[in-house]
Amino acid sequence: MLRRHPWIIPASFLILPLLVYFTFVILPTLNSLYYSFTDWVGYGTDFNFVGTANFEKIFTDRLFSNAIKNTIIWLGLAMTVPTLLGLSFALALQGKSRINTAYKSLFYMPICLSPVIIGIIWVWLYSPKLGIVNIFLRSIGLDHIATAWLANPNTALYAVFVAWAWQQTGLNMVIFLAGLTSVPTPLVEAAKVDGANTWQTLSKVIIPMLRPATVVVLALTAISALKSFEIIWVMTMGGPFNKSDTLAVFMYSESFRKFKMGYGSSAAVVLFLVTLVIIVLYFRFAAAAEELYE
Amino acid sequence: MSSRAQPHPPDPLSVPPLSGGGSPIKREGELIARVNWSKLLGNAVRYFLLTIFLILFMVPVYGAIVTAFKSQAEVAAGGYWTLPTNLAAENFERVMDPEDGNLGLYLGNSLLLTIPASIFSIALGTLAGYALGKYRFRFDGLLFIFIVAGMFLPPQIALIPVFRLMNDIGLYDTLWAVIIIHTAFGIPICTLVMRNFFQVVPNALREAALIDGANEYSIFLRIMLPLTLPALAVLATLQFTWIWNDFLWPFILTQKADSRTIMVGILNLTGQYTVDWGGQAAASLIGSLPTLFIFVFFQRYFIRGLTLGAVKG
Repeated sequence: MLRRHPWIIPASFLILPLLVYFTFVILPTLNSLYYSFTDWVGYGTDFNFVGTANFEKIFTDRLFSNAIKNTIIWLGLAMTVPTLLGLSFALALQGKSRINTAYKSLFYMPICLSPVIIGIIWVWLYSPKLGIVNIFLRSIGLDHIATAWLANPNTALYAVFVAWAWQQTGLNMVIFLAGLTSVPTPLVEAAKVDGANTWQTLSKVIIPMLRPATVVVLALTAISALKSFEIIWVMTMGGPFNKSDTLAVFMYSESFRKFKMGYGSSAAVVLFLVTLVIIVLYFRFAAAAEELYE
Repeated sequence: MSSRAQPHPPDPLSVPPLSGGGSPIKREGELIARVNWSKLLGNAVRYFLLTIFLILFMVPVYGAIVTAFKSQAEVAAGGYWTLPTNLAAENFERVMDPEDGNLGLYLGNSLLLTIPASIFSIALGTLAGYALGKYRFRFDGLLFIFIVAGMFLPPQIALIPVFRLMNDIGLYDTLWAVIIIHTAFGIPICTLVMRNFFQVVPNALREAALIDGANEYSIFLRIMLPLTLPALAVLATLQFTWIWNDFLWPFILTQKADSRTIMVGILNLTGQYTVDWGGQAAASLIGSLPTLFIFVFFQRYFIRGLTLGAVKG
């Protein structure tokens, strides 16, 4: 319909949102690419175009390869632990009984909290002497495991991850629950009538039907894991000895603590490119998942 | 019938063949009894495990609440994880005191930032979503992807240029800088949700109004906009929560106390109150109240938003 106004009417609706979006989202993104080829220090207007020097330097920077390593660990954990937990909770709580509704609400309550606040609370939980984690370990006789979780270079990244997963699990559960509503009940019942046990029904019927939800969960988790900065900054600032320094934290410290804005931009570009790969994979898998059911 | 003539492959809807002795009726009785037992046991195990997980999940929340309501003397005596002997308001008074924690100012700033930024982003998303959901034009699909892709951008990619831009236009260290950036970064999710919403609004509504002589803009304002209330509620809960909780943008774009938001203020306070857990806990509770309120009273909209726009943050 409406062939009479081929573009002027929609354009009049689009002009303002597009202007704002372009000026404050797209333009800065492109500008970042430009800065990554300069040696800008964060103030003044005289800076030099340095070609690919930042990128050549970044790939030999020990701190950068350390950040990449930590990001890979973080991403690997992020895509498995909260996904499996969220899926288990969703499967266990799919009914609409009163107790299920209450449990669900409590499990996803952390979604509405700020990462800053989650970080602050978890710092006390990990407190070496008075934190509940060590109090609990000592009470069951595991004193030798109790440690200063956030100050110990071997545990810091994992300790922060647990706090992050605490929030992400509820979110994944919500998406899986939405996915479960599209699994037709007759299908599940037919499998049971055919003599499939609970595990077979789960692995052969329900999990395959959850494929689209799984694709969404994995993509969103990966993207939010890559950009997560706040919770790490609040809990460890990337320390100790940069052991919890991910790409997002590295980018911030180089740009806003050391004022190497050009260099920091090249880190942001790397982060952006990694995210882009995931977005492209996501759209391909999402399309494939949709085709499967059409 | 055919399955009886040809045993392979079995009809998927047929009752599994019985083997061994025993009448069918007895078998069936056993089957029901067994299913019930295993179901009961399964449920017991399920809720037992769920309850353990739930207790683990609630430990941080419990710790924050009991610590916030304890007097400093009681916290200093070491009872972080016990219930408060009597409810003390002193932590809340201390963090709200303008001479001390000054959270009142930061709460006000966060409201002055979150409310307009939510409204602006939803308004712009509604305009774009309407154009993309109700009109066909050249490159509309491409434009939609171009806008929605912004949802996935890591904010880090724009951090430095936005910091510079806000300095250049003189908005650095004002709430306006943060309002503008949250408006712009909220456009993708708002456009997505509104476009999906407008797509399912029947075209007959528009066409009838066109025949009656209404123009495009009055159709949008008088007919379409009133229909969008549920979608607006979804977006309002989502945008409010996300902008209220955000830390990175105000952390980069503001400096002085007059333009400090609640999350930046609370983090600053932890530097000032290093060992004052009661104060930190009280500040955390105060900072979470608005979003907890939304969670409790508008949960349905909030959850629908999370699954609809499939999330940012």
